[in-house]
Amino acid sequence: MWYRIPARLVKSSLDPQWREAPMSTVRERLKPHLLPQFCKGCGRCIESCTRHCISAGTEINAATGLIPVNLDLEQCNGCGLCISACPEPYGLRAEPGKDFVLEDPKALFGARRAASEVAPSIPDELLPLPAVEPLVVKGNYASAIGALIAGCRHFYGYPITPSTEGAELMAKLLPKLRGVFMQAVSETATVNMMYGCGGAGMKAMTFTSSPGFSLMLEGISYMIGAELPGVFVNVMRGGPGLGNIAPEQADIKLACRGLGHGNTQAVVLAPSTPQEMLDLTILAFDLSFRYRNPVVILSDGYLGQMTGTVRLPGTAVKPGLPSWAVSGDRAHRGNLICSFLLSEADLEAHNIHLNSKYAAMKAAEQRADLFETDDAEVLLVACNTPGRMAKGAVRELRARGIKAGLFRPISLWPFPIDALRPLLLRAHRIVVVEASNGQLEDEMRLAISHDSVPRPPAIASVRRFGGVLPQQKEIVDRVLEGVGAALVEGVRV
Amino acid sequence: MSVFYDRFERHDHGTGLKGRSTHYCAGCGHGLAHKYLAEAIEELGVQDRTVAVSPVGCSVFLYYYFDVGNTQAAHGRAPAVAIGHKTANPDSIVISYQGDGDLASIGLAEIVSTAQMGIPITVVFINNAIYGMTGGQLAPTTLMGQRTSTTPEGRTAFFGPPIRMAELIAGLDGPVYVERVALYDAKQRVRAKKAITKALRLQVENRGFAFVEVLAECPTHLGMNPSEAEKWVKEAMTAVFPLGVKKDVEPPTDQVRPVGPEFDPVRLVEVFEGSTEKAPRFCAAFPTLWGTEDIALKFAGAGGDGAQTAALLVARAGINEGFDATHIPSYGPESRGGTSYADVHIARTEVLSPASPSPHLLVAFNAPSLARFGPTVEGGGTIVYDSSVIADVPSLPAGVTAIGVPMTQIASALGRLLVKNVVALGALQAATSIFPEESFLTAIRQALKSRCAMIPLNEEAFARGRQAVRSHEGSVQAN
Repeated sequence: MWYRIPARLVKSSLDPQWREAPMSTVRERLKPHLLPQFCKGCGRCIESCTRHCISAGTEINAATGLIPVNLDLEQCNGCGLCISACPEPYGLRAEPGKDFVLEDPKALFGARRAASEVAPSIPDELLPLPAVEPLVVKGNYASAIGALIAGCRHFYGYPITPSTEGAELMAKLLPKLRGVFMQAVSETATVNMMYGCGGAGMKAMTFTSSPGFSLMLEGISYMIGAELPGVFVNVMRGGPGLGNIAPEQADIKLACRGLGHGNTQAVVLAPSTPQEMLDLTILAFDLSFRYRNPVVILSDGYLGQMTGTVRLPGTAVKPGLPSWAVSGDRAHRGNLICSFLLSEADLEAHNIHLNSKYAAMKAAEQRADLFETDDAEVLLVACNTPGRMAKGAVRELRARGIKAGLFRPISLWPFPIDALRPLLLRAHRIVVVEASNGQLEDEMRLAISHDSVPRPPAIASVRRFGGVLPQQKEIVDRVLEGVGAALVEGVRV
Repeated sequence: MSVFYDRFERHDHGTGLKGRSTHYCAGCGHGLAHKYLAEAIEELGVQDRTVAVSPVGCSVFLYYYFDVGNTQAAHGRAPAVAIGHKTANPDSIVISYQGDGDLASIGLAEIVSTAQMGIPITVVFINNAIYGMTGGQLAPTTLMGQRTSTTPEGRTAFFGPPIRMAELIAGLDGPVYVERVALYDAKQRVRAKKAITKALRLQVENRGFAFVEVLAECPTHLGMNPSEAEKWVKEAMTAVFPLGVKKDVEPPTDQVRPVGPEFDPVRLVEVFEGSTEKAPRFCAAFPTLWGTEDIALKFAGAGGDGAQTAALLVARAGINEGFDATHIPSYGPESRGGTSYADVHIARTEVLSPASPSPHLLVAFNAPSLARFGPTVEGGGTIVYDSSVIADVPSLPAGVTAIGVPMTQIASALGRLLVKNVVALGALQAATSIFPEESFLTAIRQALKSRCAMIPLNEEAFARGRQAVRSHEGSVQAN
């Protein structure tokens, strides 16, 4: 894609015309021209002129309030030095001819190459995936394989336990698919590489764990602002601080309420089996491009490391290229990826636009798994690995004749209130089971509160921390011990 | 000059004079750097392929002016964003345009790592020794003694001396070209234009990472008029930041045209080793020995004992038999030799809680493991432990059977200590009949698919483990 340069004055070592021109050739040399309203009077041109044709101005330009330089071109030999000293694109120009107005830049610069007005949007293609036996893999591997099936060929990341296996598998597999595995200098760099790759319209992802996710939040805010897709798999570990490498669920607050600064939301998915690690990763890419917004998968240290059976879908994705991408080609040249809107009115309008996307996600992307909830009087609420413990507890409680059921949110944001609402009519009691200090409960309470549920059931909890997960027995005990005692926070020893 | 937009629609919606004027102050160096960059893009004919990364700082509005693909990055992260674009489309020409706060302060890690990687992008670094957009604060490149709004008495030794980025970047292995140029007179401007063009050409020719540091004037925040600022750059700045080429090792061009990623689903399945082979089944029904539909196992030992592999093999066998199974490892902080525990569940239909706080079956490879987990075993459960290394069996819950098998001895007699976990599996199979023998052997053969030579040894180890239990070689303690 080389273009001939119509440069008459611009000296270029690359312009063969210029290079080959014999020294004696007399070239047409144009004198400079200046529309005073585009001159800021910096005076760089004054010292550049060897013939002293330009002098500092004395009169304030009424349009700009600045003092443009004066040109007296009698002595001008058309050397062009003043033009290359002028920092303004529409400042000093080689005289294009008589009597032009800048309203038509073509008169000044000639016709330009047009980028296409609206780039075409090339949709994803679904290709049949050969049928294979279920895989027996770790949750982290399942997610990585899900990403490959979803058409992701760009991975950026920084190693952090207990998420690293995902990155390691990508490092092994992506080169075989001519994809890109990039180990970044930090999580901060990682998220910004995803910003660039997502901005180019490609499917990018990372694996990280809680401390790394904290570092990525700034970039996620930028991605949301610039409306970029990208999938973040956060295999949550114990915190705060360096915490430990055991499972926790203490990033729910970050993912649902704190994706960096500003008005940010993203779909947050919480798998509870290796199978869901794969399924929800595939879904995450789809949602991420559908809404032009990052998607967060909150897994936990147990699930990331857990080996289980994983069935593959019937199709794999061959990605297209969205029209908004900045992909470095002519069709997309007119595009801008940006979260910066200096005018208050523009930024408010942008936020209103984002709000409408969030509303659309709330309406369409609520997901939950219900187990024995139809007649449940005690409703356990849990996600991730604690969701499995809670399911075990439901079985045990049912065997003891207690009408227990499990409400397992799969989307933590938006919280699946539509599925929860009807269950609240029958349930006397909710027991939220989680490996965090009530972060899941807070999401549920907010959803119930916004939904104006009349007389919601009493809410009790089983909460463990620091990598200790709630076990089936303590869940059963908590349900059995009754509402009063259960409201006391913390852990029974 | 068509690389500048006809009208700067993004500058206050292109209204009034803003439609054709930059936002830069009179005498600012950015305008010239923009102009030379635009000319270079034009001359090299890469306008359509160019992606310009705007930084944070005065040049944040680069995208107002350049009619190329534009992306605006977080403060300091432009090189990372550039990598994202370049790796997404290696055909694109990616320019990271950054100021001194962006590149030399908050973004040091990104610029240094990107330069060292040698990714073929072009970096234009504007050094004007001060923060412009935030209003004249100390920059990492502020000169000693220079007054700024955050060094009102001048930069002191407390802040250390200014950082010389061109020299730092040139000291790395990755870059192919590093030059520092200035804008204060016609000669320098010609050099600046040439350097920027070369830095871009090196990318177009796919030769590598190129970096041009431009000493620029910021008259507004230096409190000078434009010509004083030029003089200051010429005299004060160049004394600290010497001009010139810092590195130029133009390598042969890599003309290999990048090929896009592979999306063929057949290849995809090959890559993650999907298999159409159905594992044979040997179980008539789900093992009922413990009266549960969800059997919990724990394997515990030190790193290197093979607890995780043994656990995975049992889970694998369960899955082969059509049951649901899970395995969760848990390690000490050591990369090698610490504790290594594995929780396994095998369920008829669905594993619920995947943890094994009170397992039905325990395999203990050392005394601390047996002491810790032995007492947690469910009544009616079974423990298999390595009697070669465990002398004392702690007191166990009622109804728990403990079987000592000299796993280490047997493995060592086979000449491979590593197979003691397979000896343990043989013992477990014989002691509990959780799955038929063939079930285990199939899982072992599957795991050793790529190391077939190891199969006979492992089969032998498994057989010896079984034998040890069957011949009562193992010491049985029933509570």
